[in-house]
Amino acid sequence: MNTGEKPTLAKGLMLLPALIVLGLFFTSVIMLFSNAFVDRGGFSLKYFEQILARPDYHVVFYRTVITSIIVALLAVLLAYPIALLLWRSEKHRNMLLIVVLVPWLVSLVVRTYGWIILLGPKGFVNAFLGWVGVIDTPLKLMFNDTGIIIGLTHVLIPFAVISILASLLSIEENLEEASRVLGAGRWQTFKTIVFPLSLPGVFTSLMVIYLACVGAIVTPLLLGGITEKFVGSQIYQEVMATFNMSKAAAWSICLLSLSFVSLVILKFIERRALRGQE
Amino acid sequence: MRKMTPTMKMLGIALLLFLPAPIFIVFGASFNGSGYIQFPPESWSLRWYVEAFTDPRWGRAVLTSLWIAAVVAVLITAISFLAAYFTLRYAPKISGWLELAIFSPLFFPHASMGVAAVALMASMGVVGTPIAIILAHLMVTIPFSYRPIHVALKSVDPDLIRAAEVMGASELRALWDIILPICRSGILTSLLFTGIISFDEVTVTMFLIGPEITTLPVQIFTFIQDDASPVLAAISTLSVIITFIAILLLERVAGLSFFVQRQSS
Repeated sequence: MNTGEKPTLAKGLMLLPALIVLGLFFTSVIMLFSNAFVDRGGFSLKYFEQILARPDYHVVFYRTVITSIIVALLAVLLAYPIALLLWRSEKHRNMLLIVVLVPWLVSLVVRTYGWIILLGPKGFVNAFLGWVGVIDTPLKLMFNDTGIIIGLTHVLIPFAVISILASLLSIEENLEEASRVLGAGRWQTFKTIVFPLSLPGVFTSLMVIYLACVGAIVTPLLLGGITEKFVGSQIYQEVMATFNMSKAAAWSICLLSLSFVSLVILKFIERRALRGQE
Repeated sequence: MRKMTPTMKMLGIALLLFLPAPIFIVFGASFNGSGYIQFPPESWSLRWYVEAFTDPRWGRAVLTSLWIAAVVAVLITAISFLAAYFTLRYAPKISGWLELAIFSPLFFPHASMGVAAVALMASMGVVGTPIAIILAHLMVTIPFSYRPIHVALKSVDPDLIRAAEVMGASELRALWDIILPICRSGILTSLLFTGIISFDEVTVTMFLIGPEITTLPVQIFTFIQDDASPVLAAISTLSVIITFIAILLLERVAGLSFFVQRQSS
């Protein structure tokens, strides 16, 4: 809708509120860095050394990354059939989409709370298994990695569904028809046409879910407890329990660098996977 | 092949139904008669709803979350509209840069964003006030507001604006009578979507609350850690209902196509 007019300074003021919001965001990032790198008025790596010197902290990073990779793959795997279902059911798509959107947009705390009720020692899953007679003592489904993986995966599947569905919907119908007319079977059509063309959605999901996982606080804290620490729950404790802002900031910067490196690797894989398309 | 094989279809349906399952569990647990969470409940009662409505802490948290969500939705929608309108109409050259800046918070893990926000708000001395929560929510929601509005504005034909202005309409009049109606669904999507996000946000918000103010999801979070009274199930159900109504409203007034559009901008 560019009408080719030159902007005036007065009109440029329309940009100001957005610039203020963005300015606040970037200032907060700068504050994060100054909190982490400055100690008693001078540059210092003290807080990073404190983190890197602790082997138990390495475990926290390791657990966060591994769990996040598992969750991202699992969520995409479980989301794909749902996305296919929605793609295929044009008539009821809106209704089915609401079934996906509601769990996505309902507060994280509420969904995690549901899992606490389900997975707890006296929870539904254990009560049911005990009643059927499969187990004598309750399974430990919570306060360990299993709980975190189940909770995070469930929380993030809806996003993957939406993003994969968006990719599927952008596939031209005649491509598929052409493939079928030329004699390709159902599976071959899926393998050579549908799946490769849905890859952008798959990679977007992997990236967003991975980021959401490494930066998660609520779900790991509530389902993982205080023993199975995540980077997020560690950060939360530094701020809320030990009031060590500088160390929390140092953790946050480690988390940022970690996600940045992971994103670069994922982008590299994506480029290789999508080579030959377009 | 417009049809799926029955096995795939069943698998898809089973997985789809798994998504709202924990929400139904919370719903069921809220009618539990006993003093601790139990599923399936042994007796039924509405006592937890009575407690939720009589305990002033919950009423206050619900109201706080609602008014903050409303303020954030209106502010961020106006902010995004002005920015998108200006760049698309007068300065398309900077459009790419602006988008890059606006979408950059998306690549920030929420835990880091929470710490960054609390560092900034503490230096401004506003932690524990509504200002801190509103400012943080503006940062969190700006990408989700800018995108639908940008897409809507992009579809406006510049000739329509030229025509209106040649005929003597002021810029404001053209905005009001031509551009806003065309962008209606984009604007409504932004309002409701960001309102829902703000209402349900917890990871960043929980760093910014104080003794004077807390939001509904953060208070639920605090209570889960302290004691697991079934009143939480009742409160959670209410929060689900509010979100659900907002999503239905979004479907009615703007449609859901925005969520499954592949962005080509």
